[in-house]
Amino acid sequence: MQKLFATIAVIITGAILLNAVEDFPRFGDPHSPPNSGVSGGSVSSSVHYLQNTYLDTRVPNVVTAVLADYRGYDTLFETAVILTAGIAVFAILRVVRRKDEEESTGSEEKACSGEFSTSDSDGEGRHRVVVGTACRVVVPLAQLFGFYIIAHGHPSPGGGFQGGVVLGTSFILLALAGGLGSALGRLREDMYLRLACLGVFIYAGIGLLSLFFRRNFLDYGALSGLLQTGGEEMARSHGIFGVELGVAMTVTSVMFALFANLSTRGELKGGL
Amino acid sequence: MSEHLPVIVVLAPLFGAVIVGFFGTRDRHLCFPIALTALALSFVCSIGVVHHVATVGAWDYFVGGWESPHGVGIQLRADGVNSLLLLAIAVVALLALVYSIRQDGEKDAEKSPFFYVLFLLLCVGLFGITITGDAFNVYVLIEITALTSYGLVAIGSSRRSRVAAFQYLVIGTVGASFYLIGVGYLYLAVGSLNMADIRTILAANPEIANSRIIGTALVFILLGVWTKMGLFPLHGWLPNAYSYCPSGSANLMAPLVTKVSVYVMIRILFGVFGLGVITENPGWSDLVVLIAVGSIVAGSVMALTQREIKKMLCCLIVAEVGYMVGGTWLGDAGRWGLTGSMYHILADAMMTSCLFLAAGVFAKQFGATRLEHLSGLFRRSPWAAGAFTLGGLAMIGVPPMCGFFSKFYLIRGAIDSGHWLYIVALLGSSLVNAILFFRIFEIAYFGEVPESSESSEGGCPTRGRHAAWRTAPLLVAAALTLLLGIFNRPVIDLIRGTVVENIDIVSMQE
Repeated sequence: MQKLFATIAVIITGAILLNAVEDFPRFGDPHSPPNSGVSGGSVSSSVHYLQNTYLDTRVPNVVTAVLADYRGYDTLFETAVILTAGIAVFAILRVVRRKDEEESTGSEEKACSGEFSTSDSDGEGRHRVVVGTACRVVVPLAQLFGFYIIAHGHPSPGGGFQGGVVLGTSFILLALAGGLGSALGRLREDMYLRLACLGVFIYAGIGLLSLFFRRNFLDYGALSGLLQTGGEEMARSHGIFGVELGVAMTVTSVMFALFANLSTRGELKGGL
Repeated sequence: MSEHLPVIVVLAPLFGAVIVGFFGTRDRHLCFPIALTALALSFVCSIGVVHHVATVGAWDYFVGGWESPHGVGIQLRADGVNSLLLLAIAVVALLALVYSIRQDGEKDAEKSPFFYVLFLLLCVGLFGITITGDAFNVYVLIEITALTSYGLVAIGSSRRSRVAAFQYLVIGTVGASFYLIGVGYLYLAVGSLNMADIRTILAANPEIANSRIIGTALVFILLGVWTKMGLFPLHGWLPNAYSYCPSGSANLMAPLVTKVSVYVMIRILFGVFGLGVITENPGWSDLVVLIAVGSIVAGSVMALTQREIKKMLCCLIVAEVGYMVGGTWLGDAGRWGLTGSMYHILADAMMTSCLFLAAGVFAKQFGATRLEHLSGLFRRSPWAAGAFTLGGLAMIGVPPMCGFFSKFYLIRGAIDSGHWLYIVALLGSSLVNAILFFRIFEIAYFGEVPESSESSEGGCPTRGRHAAWRTAPLLVAAALTLLLGIFNRPVIDLIRGTVVENIDIVSMQE
């Protein structure tokens, strides 16, 4: 019965959505409202972005400029959404054991204490020659590639979110190959929690700096004096890079935090 | 710095959350002062915004300085409605924060920094939704609000709260994606995300405004926000989510999250689509009023069957949402229904805050979670019981309280537009509220004090020093419920002056 209701609801929703398709602009139409704007409104923002991005920000990749500068306020909160996800998963899943309880249970593993530190006992000691060697080659390359993507957001597709995911994956790879302990040994729990917060702090902090130059929030152009760039355009370019770094920090650490907590049900030991 | 107040309101809790996350894990005693400072800063800034709006007029702020052409950057806009809502959010959040001060002895004290982080991020979301003038930015902030809400519901140690959070997560995600689909359709038709820009485009191009894309966009945006606010057929998640979560979270979420969704609906209607949507389609707006009536009736009936205090209050929220949605869609010429809805957003935030704080105090100090437990409460805790009485009277709509004035304006609008069924539902639900609350008053004032009252602590012996931290915000909330009613005139003037009159001018010009 429930399934029947659900099916009917889905069909109705789909029908309403499809009903409007006839009025859609043609696919790829250069004169559609999102591409060229509508009479009566202001100049289309798409046209404005395409014409002025390089003049305003010296960033060849329009997507990066829209994401991190024109609509940087949205992206700041998107980063905060990622931080929220990480913190929420931690707050729900993480199993916190106090030292006294642990002694009474007599667990042989030196597991997490009340201060969230974790053991490094499993992992390195085991004989996983093939996986370990492959990991030793792949992880540095993956991290290097991650940094490349972050830094290369300006001229090519890339940026903080994508690079952060690659960086986070490199830590997950470490955990998959050598046990969670070895990965946690490199990026401790208190470190990744702080790193996630620091990322959002960097983003919002760069935006806040412009307030001290009597300019609006996230107006990177105000930083030209501080950064000793010739004009405001280069300051915007540098500002975008700065916030991308903040995004990358948050994404990297939340990726790893989600993996670590979800794969071990918040115990942060053994697992897999 | 005073020219940046609109953005600082949102940024203060964001920085607060990040700083708590960074230092709070090392020293848990820092969490509360940092959070308090952040919210106090938001409070002061929102007073500044209200003052500016009342004296100068609507306040536009362009993030990143991208002012022209319109819609390239993101615009924040404070006017008569949302500046007051900002202030209400700041007040309710401060009260809930003071209430939720954590002690070392509590069993999940290690996680308390993360409670504060989520709490502050929820405030960021609520402030941000309220002040933004950009349709997509609303979605991003709805995401923050939703994710933090799920976390704050699930952070409770009971199994029930996890189940409630999961339900909430599934339904909330559907609601948010409906909103996003709606905004996507809207962008497809008008090519802009700035609310004011969309408004001018739709006013200048009737053929676009009447197209099926815009109609579908409106339907999906409305379905999304209705799901988020728990309007009648979509309300299933609400009572469980708000009654099974820890009372520290409930005090923030129950008064604010639904009200902010109602605000989004009002803002989308008059700021994006124009109120013509309501007046030009009387059949559809009558249907919405009918749904609202259903919500009022369903909420009241469900509340009558509840024996748990918090669950009863949650059911009342469903009824109150019906008041506001119905009032918005009355479509009377004087816009009194809309005024009443806007005023009721503020009034209901204060009343619900007062009642939930009281329910939290009863539960924490006397272990009283069900109606029977309240017996003889007045003699045991006169202040808390008195504050609860004020909140209850406001909910019923007794004259000097704020609840009376919102009902007054709502009924005035309904008489003007001839929605008699809505009036009957409104008065009927006031009657139900009277039954509910006088039943509690009777138990609390005239019931016998149970023999074992001193020992019936429900396993939470936190009286004494900490009891004051819990009772003080309750008393402030009760006083504000009274003051908002007595001084309703300036509030109504501000709402009508800056928004409702403007709407009439716009619709007359068209």
